[in-house]
Amino acid sequence: MWAYLVRRLLLALVAISGVLVIVFFLSHIIPGDPIAAILGPQAPDYVIEDLRHRWGLDRPIPEQFVRFVGRLVRGDLGTSIATKRPVISDLRQFFPATIELATTAIIVGALAGLAVGIISAVAHGSWLDHTVRFLSLIGLSMPVFWLGLILLLVFYYWLGVLPGPGQLDIFIARPPSVTGMILLDSLLARDSVALRNALGHLVLPALVLGSHALVGIARITRASMLEVLGQDYIKVARAKGLAERTVILRHALKNALLPIITVIGIYYGGLLEGAVLTETVFAWPGLGRYATSAILSQDFAAIMGVTILIALIFSLANLVVDLAYGFLNPKIRYE
Amino acid sequence: MRGRYYLALLLLVVLALLPATAGGAPGRVPQNVLVIGRIIGDVVSLDPAEAFELTSTWIDEHLYETLVEFSRDFTRAVPGLATSWTVSADGKTYTFTLRSGVKFHSGNPVDAKAVEFSLRRAMRLKLQPAFILTGFIKNPEDVVAISANQVRITFNQVMPEILMTCVLSNPVASAVDPALVQKNATASDPLANKWVAENDAGSGPYILRRWTRNAVIELVAFDDYWGGRPRMGRIFVQDIPEPTAQLLALQRGDVDMVTDLLPAQFVQAAKEAGLVVKTSPQFALRYLAMNVGYEPFSRVQVRNAVKWAIDYTAFRRIFEDQIDIGQTIVPARMFGHLPDRPYSKNLDRARALMREAGFERGFKAELLTVPDPPLPDIAAKIKEDLAQIGIEVEVKVLRSADILAAYRGRTHQMVIARWGADYPDPDNLATALADFDARVLAYRNQWDHPIKRTVQQAVQELDRAKRDAMYRQIQKVVLDEGPYVIIGYPLRLLAMRANVKGLDPSPLSVTYGMWGVVKE
Repeated sequence: MWAYLVRRLLLALVAISGVLVIVFFLSHIIPGDPIAAILGPQAPDYVIEDLRHRWGLDRPIPEQFVRFVGRLVRGDLGTSIATKRPVISDLRQFFPATIELATTAIIVGALAGLAVGIISAVAHGSWLDHTVRFLSLIGLSMPVFWLGLILLLVFYYWLGVLPGPGQLDIFIARPPSVTGMILLDSLLARDSVALRNALGHLVLPALVLGSHALVGIARITRASMLEVLGQDYIKVARAKGLAERTVILRHALKNALLPIITVIGIYYGGLLEGAVLTETVFAWPGLGRYATSAILSQDFAAIMGVTILIALIFSLANLVVDLAYGFLNPKIRYE
Repeated sequence: MRGRYYLALLLLVVLALLPATAGGAPGRVPQNVLVIGRIIGDVVSLDPAEAFELTSTWIDEHLYETLVEFSRDFTRAVPGLATSWTVSADGKTYTFTLRSGVKFHSGNPVDAKAVEFSLRRAMRLKLQPAFILTGFIKNPEDVVAISANQVRITFNQVMPEILMTCVLSNPVASAVDPALVQKNATASDPLANKWVAENDAGSGPYILRRWTRNAVIELVAFDDYWGGRPRMGRIFVQDIPEPTAQLLALQRGDVDMVTDLLPAQFVQAAKEAGLVVKTSPQFALRYLAMNVGYEPFSRVQVRNAVKWAIDYTAFRRIFEDQIDIGQTIVPARMFGHLPDRPYSKNLDRARALMREAGFERGFKAELLTVPDPPLPDIAAKIKEDLAQIGIEVEVKVLRSADILAAYRGRTHQMVIARWGADYPDPDNLATALADFDARVLAYRNQWDHPIKRTVQQAVQELDRAKRDAMYRQIQKVVLDEGPYVIIGYPLRLLAMRANVKGLDPSPLSVTYGMWGVVKE
């Protein structure tokens, strides 16, 4: 088990290094000028040249790469050209908001997706199954951006039961930052006003973001459950007179879980990358908007910082999913 | 069992979220508080020596003050921190007498030493906006406190008062509290740029209470402001990046004003009871540039054929009436503006010019634009118009970074771009668009015309009437021979609740102070 873990971590390191090399060179060779993009059309050329020199962007690309790697091994992700702050500070500020949103979204998506998938599989071929599949198709086809705006229109503007854009009402003081996540920080500060308000603000973006995960998880749950429900041991369980609920939840679901866990892991990794459209509609100060703005302005240090973070997230998500297999299926051995 | 566990968990999540729905119900904004919905992701630094983006310089105008300001009509300087000034016989040295009793938010006095320190600091930091000072003041030591309340500034050229005001009313020339800077200086940052970037060291009508990046900026009124405490006790600038979300927040009454609606949404807001849309002119241009380095555009006949082929009336419609139509490079209402509009769609004339240039069979050209609405529609209309005289336009919608790289690299053929006046003087536009040696737009479009000499002389001309005539001459030459089609002068639109009064935006890109705003 430990040997497996070490081997997987080393492999992850190789994969992350590969991703870094590719992203670094790709981002540097595509046309565009980050300094010009940030300063806009009106800054004089000599200001652009001066800043390009100050940021080391006038050096050959291989030299810039060596400098980047040199900083990286010292734990320095560099400074963002756009925000003028260390990238690590930016990530520390924006990533917690994304963790908070993505975690809530995946909980909503996974729980609802499992429930919908199981119901659909058990009622296979019935009107209930068809309805669920039809709604899933609609859910999958609905653009996140549009869904977000519709929910804002209905629950914020028409009904007035949920707050509008933002992570917290502007009149409410943000609790002291410990984790950077408002929910946790509110709990730690025992600030019930901020907690309730932050929860309210989380509902719509989490629903929007969770809806796509919900549909994907529901579909894989249904397919996996249908396969398992056709197995002989399920017939035996039923023949033994076990209650249908026991057959479904204890025997069928447990054996159907492996692909479902994989999909949940992939979705969670994807959500942690940040969801730029959801974050934009709901004014959520997360990683998605930071990453998009970095890409649009060719903010190299920020692009590399976000790349490292995303590569780490996916490597860890994959590892956790693989380890979860062992707990769910004792036949799996790590060698 | 596990199924029950899952269901219980689901129930818990739902129960957890339900009370929040009641707690999150939005309320109205109190009477003495102003909430503005706006994209604030562009705020990088609030240090006036560094702030260069629209929102950060706008915020700094509330936090900091400069020696002089512009009169409402932009024709003369009016007192700011300085109550009076004199100019030397050679027109290069100004001596300012400071207003007495003015305090920074910290309580420290705004004296001559503080002004000297602030201007020298901005020049020594050499950050983005420093060129506005260093372009006209050679050394930091040319700013000298000659007594407790007098500062002498020696410029590197003759400075008409209007040009002096352009330089010294810019936020980069703001007074910054020296005591706070020194207190927060470090060995690696001796001028405390990092601290001032996120904190307040000003003397303006508002104090910065908090800035949470990509979330909110909160300002509170400065009780001891020499001009009297502003009526709005607090101002919140809330980050709402999505235009529809901005409109919904305005309609709900959760914000008093929004700045970034789409053109059609401004039209919608203007029709709605309880909302008003304030439209004001801007000293800015939208233009189509033709690179003279691209062979067909090296012929003045081709450039003018383009000008005669375009249907200018369509621009206003595409911009939903949110643009003033004009054809000269100095925007309407600015000193020296030439109101001539000789061009209108005349295909016969355009085709004749193409024939004269030897391009009667047309040619292909690439047109670059950013995806911001309605520019792709403008590009499509230009493509349609130019096809009628045989110019086959390929529209490329690119990121701003890519377009700027091509534009600065002079590799474009045609581009739709914008220019906002850095200061309210025709020199800013004339230098950019007609002076090749300034290495700005004329240089990028490879248009090197002798009129650049007039541009270089006009900036130092002290006689107002002569100066006016020189700028009119420059505009006429650019109109007749230049590589630009002026699409128009974009208007600034702000949508607000009907009870918000007293807002008087100036035509400069960023200036619309909130210190005069009241809510009825």
